[in-house]
Amino acid sequence: MLTPEEKQRYDRQIMIPSIGETGQEKLKKARVVIAGSGGLGSPISLYLAAAGIGTLRIIDNDKVELSNLNRQILYWEKDIGKYKTDSAEIKLRQLNKNITVETINTTIDESNVSELVAGFDVIVDAMDNLPTRFLLNKAAVEHQIPFIHGAVSGLDGRAMTVIPGKTACLQCLYHSVPPKAKFPVLGTTPAIIGSIQATEVIKYLTGIGTLLTNRLLMYDGLNMEFTELQVARFKDCECCGKLKLEDKT
Amino acid sequence: MSAEVKVASYLTQYTGGKEIIKVEGKSVRECLHNLVQKFPALQKLLFDKNNNLLAYFNVFVTGGAVAFTDKLDISVKDGDTLTLLFIIGGG
Repeated sequence: MLTPEEKQRYDRQIMIPSIGETGQEKLKKARVVIAGSGGLGSPISLYLAAAGIGTLRIIDNDKVELSNLNRQILYWEKDIGKYKTDSAEIKLRQLNKNITVETINTTIDESNVSELVAGFDVIVDAMDNLPTRFLLNKAAVEHQIPFIHGAVSGLDGRAMTVIPGKTACLQCLYHSVPPKAKFPVLGTTPAIIGSIQATEVIKYLTGIGTLLTNRLLMYDGLNMEFTELQVARFKDCECCGKLKLEDKT
Repeated sequence: MSAEVKVASYLTQYTGGKEIIKVEGKSVRECLHNLVQKFPALQKLLFDKNNNLLAYFNVFVTGGAVAFTDKLDISVKDGDTLTLLFIIGGG
């Protein structure tokens, strides 16, 4: 049940007919894990906290640096040198006292990824490298948890939603893994992609609209174009190929 | 066989501003090599010293097949589109 304060707080999104109070209650009960608290993680966590997601788990192991501040809007000059998780937790609690914010200061790797995501309703990909994204994608498939992918470089962005067993996973999409490298980025690029990811989370949890599944959304900020690439489940996919094909598209 | 290669926008500075380029070839490998013949500056941007496609790129062929690294011998039909996807991983 929503409290009178919550009804007032979320009034503008409750007004959306397909969300309503029922949808808002679903958001309140939801548990979402955000892997990474940088350029993508900042807008994702801010919008999901503001939208009233009941529990947010935020995982990151970095400290705030001056060069983060062009895009990582959760952090300000006074936060330089602090752990991002500590800083993020303070800001998000100040934004919305009604939600639970769990922060975990660790590096996601093969040994801990499964434990970190188990029991959550959605995994949001806000990482800064592809190898860890593949670990998260694999854990999402194993636990059958929807996985909301996003990535950025320069003025380019990508987003795709994975419903394990039903739609193409990240490994159906990418067949090679570029090495981890320092990447250029304009701050508005993760703002746009992170906002799309947060929208997908809310749509999935409330069951509204059409998800960004089996298609990669490609944002080209230089030409201000959005295009899509159709992606099919890969029957021999090393990650999700063993799951029953519930949807051939 | 005649196909079209759609390149990432940042590569258009090496293709005379063109995003879609007509190429000839029976396989993805042949089509990409034809692309490089037309625009030699792409050689170092797309291929390693062993002439394998760099891991930053996957080629999506009409119909769903994906070519990558040394797996480039996928057949191409007349009129196919080859989307040269630049893989990005930043966050």
